[in-house]
Amino acid sequence: MSLPERRRAGVVAALREMECDFIAYVPSNTIADIITGLEKDGPTTFPVSREEEAVGIIGALPLAGKFGAIVMQDNGFGNALTALTTFAVAYHLPLLIVANTRGGLGEYNSMIHAISENVPAMLGASGIPVFSLDRRTGPEDWKGTVAEAGKHARMTHRPVVVLMEFFETAEEAA
Amino acid sequence: MKRIDALRVITELGADLPVVATCAATSRELAAVEDRDNHLYLLDSMGLTTSVGTGLALACDGTAVSHVITIDGDGSLLMNLGALATGGYLAPAPMLVVLLDNGVYASTGNIPTQAGRIDLGAVAAACGLNVVATDTADGLRTELATMLGAPGPHLLHVRIERGNEPGTPLLLDDPVVLGHRFRSWLTARLEGGAR
Repeated sequence: MSLPERRRAGVVAALREMECDFIAYVPSNTIADIITGLEKDGPTTFPVSREEEAVGIIGALPLAGKFGAIVMQDNGFGNALTALTTFAVAYHLPLLIVANTRGGLGEYNSMIHAISENVPAMLGASGIPVFSLDRRTGPEDWKGTVAEAGKHARMTHRPVVVLMEFFETAEEAA
Repeated sequence: MKRIDALRVITELGADLPVVATCAATSRELAAVEDRDNHLYLLDSMGLTTSVGTGLALACDGTAVSHVITIDGDGSLLMNLGALATGGYLAPAPMLVVLLDNGVYASTGNIPTQAGRIDLGAVAAACGLNVVATDTADGLRTELATMLGAPGPHLLHVRIERGNEPGTPLLLDDPVVLGHRFRSWLTARLEGGAR
């Protein structure tokens, strides 16, 4: 198993172990293995059409004493922002979002930087905590960070975001 | 039928069920009819009501809470039409959307929505929801009672008049307080035992 595959497996394991009741996703090629891993052996995992829908569905779960997570790509935070702020933040509803990043090193799509590079600042300005993972740490740290972010969401009664950058240098990828 | 007349019927039949209401005038008028612990008012979450109702319906599926009543408007649903696709895909049995359709954004100056030409009930039916339409208070009472007697997902398409009830007070409560009140009511019901 390659290092990125082990990192993805760590994320899947963390999401399984935190006992989510439901997980909603908007797909990305980079995190397809996370989604299929959860669908194979995890909590009920299902697609939604846009990210704000996921915030509505998963954000509602704590009102019934349950908890959930969203798996998505960071360019969808523009879609999700009004739902995140006016529902999850305003009503103090815990939920965990794990999102792969697109802007930055290794990104081939010149347009996607325009949203993705600004996501941490955008979320920060909205009072939503962001924890970042990248090539500098291994699968155990990825798993541990996602697990702790889930606890953080529950403890703070707020949405919490983990951004996952999958870029590797040429030497690392070899 | 005015919106507030429809809300009176829903309040009467939904006294023991979770009720989620879309933002602005609909939530205000619902609270004016009766402000109860089983009501969740979405004060400013545009287009999110049916998604929130779907999440609650998922959480209540297989429990003692048989239905979750989601009161949406045509303008709000059109802001997030994918919610119908996801609701039909997941098909939680407690899902029951009451769509109050006046063809306008009544809370923002009666500006027309696309619902003047598009049949949102047909869209919901195409997504797999059980759809019934009515435009009278008696029809609403009869059809809602029938839907509450059967597993969903349902959408009751209710044609209403344009406009808002004059003199309805603003809802100025903290959303955290409103959410806590609703959560306390719902979790007590859920702890009452599974079906």
